[in-house]
Amino acid sequence: MIALALLRFLARTPWSTAMALIGMALGVTSIVSVHLVSASISSRLDGLVPGALAEYSHYLHRDNLNTADYFALRKKWRAGTLPAITQLSPLVDETTTIEGQSVRVLGADLLAGPPSNGTTDLAEQFSWNGAWVDQSLKGQLSIPINGIIDAPKGTLLADIATAHDLLGWPTNQLSYVGLTLGNAFAGTIETAEKLLPGFGAGFPSAKPTLNLAPEWQLVSNAEQYPAREFGKSILFNISALGMLALLVAWLLIYQVAVSWLRRLWPVFDRLHVLGVEWQQLRAYFLFSIGLIAILAAALGLAAGWLLASWLLEMASPEQEINLQMDRWVIFKAVGSAVAVGLLGGTWAFHRSKGKTSRSYLPAILTILLLTAATWCVFQPQTGIAGGFFAIAALSLVASQTIAPLLILLKRGASVIRGSYLLRIGVREALWHPAELSVALAGLSLAIATAIGVALMVDSFRVDFSQMLDHRLKYDLIAQGDKAALGKFVTTKNTTKLADRIQVYRNTDVRVNGLSMELNFTRMDTFESSRYGYNGALDSRDILLSEQAARSLQLSVGDPLTVAGKTIKISGIFSSFGDLKPRLIADDRNPLANALAAELEVDSVAFKSDRPEALTAGLRTQFPLLELRLQSDIRRVALKTFDQTFAITTVLITIALLVAAISVYIAVTTMRLNRQTGRLLLNTLGINRTEQLMMNVALGAGLGLVAIIIALPLGLMFGWILCNVINPRAFGWTIELQLSAEALLQSCSLGMLAAIAAGILQGGDHEEGAFGGR
Amino acid sequence: MIKPAALNVKKISKHYQDGGRQIDVIRDLSFSVAAGESLSVTGPSGSGKSTLLNLLAGLLELDDGDMSLELKGKIFSYRAANERSRTAFRRQYIGYVYQFFNLVPTLTVLENVRLPARLNQQPELERHAATLLGDFGLSARLHDFPETLSGGEQQRVAVARALLLKPPLLLADEPTGNLDIENSNLVADLLFSSCREQNISLVLATHSTEVATMADTRLHLDTELQQNPPSQDRQSP
Repeated sequence: MIALALLRFLARTPWSTAMALIGMALGVTSIVSVHLVSASISSRLDGLVPGALAEYSHYLHRDNLNTADYFALRKKWRAGTLPAITQLSPLVDETTTIEGQSVRVLGADLLAGPPSNGTTDLAEQFSWNGAWVDQSLKGQLSIPINGIIDAPKGTLLADIATAHDLLGWPTNQLSYVGLTLGNAFAGTIETAEKLLPGFGAGFPSAKPTLNLAPEWQLVSNAEQYPAREFGKSILFNISALGMLALLVAWLLIYQVAVSWLRRLWPVFDRLHVLGVEWQQLRAYFLFSIGLIAILAAALGLAAGWLLASWLLEMASPEQEINLQMDRWVIFKAVGSAVAVGLLGGTWAFHRSKGKTSRSYLPAILTILLLTAATWCVFQPQTGIAGGFFAIAALSLVASQTIAPLLILLKRGASVIRGSYLLRIGVREALWHPAELSVALAGLSLAIATAIGVALMVDSFRVDFSQMLDHRLKYDLIAQGDKAALGKFVTTKNTTKLADRIQVYRNTDVRVNGLSMELNFTRMDTFESSRYGYNGALDSRDILLSEQAARSLQLSVGDPLTVAGKTIKISGIFSSFGDLKPRLIADDRNPLANALAAELEVDSVAFKSDRPEALTAGLRTQFPLLELRLQSDIRRVALKTFDQTFAITTVLITIALLVAAISVYIAVTTMRLNRQTGRLLLNTLGINRTEQLMMNVALGAGLGLVAIIIALPLGLMFGWILCNVINPRAFGWTIELQLSAEALLQSCSLGMLAAIAAGILQGGDHEEGAFGGR
Repeated sequence: MIKPAALNVKKISKHYQDGGRQIDVIRDLSFSVAAGESLSVTGPSGSGKSTLLNLLAGLLELDDGDMSLELKGKIFSYRAANERSRTAFRRQYIGYVYQFFNLVPTLTVLENVRLPARLNQQPELERHAATLLGDFGLSARLHDFPETLSGGEQQRVAVARALLLKPPLLLADEPTGNLDIENSNLVADLLFSSCREQNISLVLATHSTEVATMADTRLHLDTELQQNPPSQDRQSP
């Protein structure tokens, strides 16, 4: 009988039922889409490291490494003096040209077991002299191919002896030693990575101390593959933004549960008066919310899949989209909807029975969270995870302040002036803290995220644009074919069309075990100014990129030893977008002589009044050169920049939409529970236009309350992103610009979302739980 | 001397649909009320008292018959009016007092009373609001919100608001139904005396015999309305 009463109620209020379902489904959609996008990017980034090396967490390097060094190390390990190492293996890794193809040859001890991860067998007869290659090399080489492996383009994996043969190396030569170091948190990090793809990058990477001779340099996976690390850091930003979207979605699901209960409460109240036990009523309520949660999870999974496909298509149209709907995303979607729905419902039921007691716990928790957030912000060793913990903690604290703020504002509500209808609308937004605080917390969070990210992106764009202004002082850049570049330089080819020709040579060096790019060029006043350095750079000095300075923990004036030469650091330049830490020295620097054999011409830059004509001339003379005009580089750079943050913008829009739906559901429930108030105003002769005005005022009131919380919170987010997270994630600092446009745009979007939630009148025809006439 | 009727109700009917079933709440009801006179409407629950008051306020549309109200030489016909003009008419010419939820919770006492003057853009009446509240013994509560007032105080504020515009017709739906005897008498006295003094026609629905007897005329509705035409008794004030 009770179930029948509830089912009839659901059928008689189809709009409210549909809104609960849609609201929860939207929450799940945002969770699923963010997860799928992050997982897809993470999988692409993992593809940057050959599968055969995936099992190693660290690498050991030393000059002229050979098998004797390796076996000495192995002996030490077997004697138990290196307990942190759980596995070690010799590796060969070198790029060479085989049959006209540039091939990265990886040699590993395959006697321990041939590659299996992501491998497709090809050969009918397995050959130890054969190799495994990535898809791009299939059919390109004459050596026997055993199978296709998941690896970056141009990778070949072979047994270590075969690799020696292919490279023409002596049989005792090695590149480095692969290590797996024991990590007590590896399992936890792996699970966290599955649940929040990209989150693993946020855990501070431990650098264990091994009892080894100083010639050995321990390098982590992140340092060995900086490109992947850079990508993972961007992904972590998106993933952390996804965490905020998850929080907003959970608030929405909780809001749906609260609103659902408020709709049913009058029925429950009367049934309880008739003798039905609260426990039984709670079971019915939880069953109904569970049913909605399961349906919403199914809808959200489908919608999230579509949304993720669209987002990836928009962000990287040239790449194939490969989304994996694995058990983790299903668990996350269904778990979020059902768990938050049921737990939130149980809590709301508990509160509705008036069983809440005054407790100091929220205040104590708030103080603890604020202390922990402050500690994380000012302690660099907490890594980017510490930065995002601070954001999450501040979000929780802010969401806790909504209800007290509403109560405070309500006390001073009589000072609100202006039209009476405006007063009614705005005050309505302050009058019902219990019903609106959850939805308003979601909206505040979404607006704060929009403000924080917009400030960060705007500040980043200003700095990036300034850097481009500095760097792009040349009109034409020639890159590409090394032979053609070499020929251009050695023939001392000059052209009347160029006012200035600048040649850049580079090589990779290891400084304190870290792989860095070392550039040499003529560092006169003009060139030095491109890196923010005044005057010509002394031939014994060097400039460091911000990333390099941060990795080496050095600053201006410190000495630095590179390839056995000690030089002075004269300046540090910003290096947005650099994949590797970078050093720049003058052509005449003693280092240039020391490394002369390894230096290659990387690019040549030209200053010219007629860059197009110069391009045409060079193209005819050196058809293999890649020639790019400065204006094109700037356009492409800014386009790439904007594309990188396009996903961020869409995720914020989703969070705002989800928050607006949450507010709408809360407002609709509030209206349905207060139909008598509306009837009174109707009796007083309020017409439709005036009702609309009041609804706009209500929405504006809600938006205003949300902005009061969101503005300081968003500024804090922006500051943390620019001064804490970016330096820790990428090694660069962004100067926070308080862009009025970014603030106005985010606040306006939030205000519009709130007003839309206030104006929408769906379901007004429905009656409360007990309709009357 | 018999005063000319201000409110004329002629053979009005109203029914509701409940699924496929039609429920006649009011059928062929006629009565009239002169300016400054009062009519009490009594009858059991479900007899159509609230429906009648909602029809008189223009909140519901008539199914049959017509009603008219004399407004300074003009006659307002309910039958001819659409929803929009009924709303404008209600705003300007009708005062309404409910049993519950009479006040806008987000407006102070003074703002609640001033609201009709604001809606009708009559700033001169706004000043009168405080005086009226003072007359009703509420001068100390002008800037309080309704939730801090007692039931009796809230009802007095509601009466003050209904009277501010001096409307030709004041409707009260069980205005004392939620009050103790003392407050009930106070509110009823206020309503009847104010309407009489200001020449306002009062239609009041009530379950209270005491309150009903205070009206100039009594109209009794019952659930057997369809069979028995309602009785309208005239009595001495």
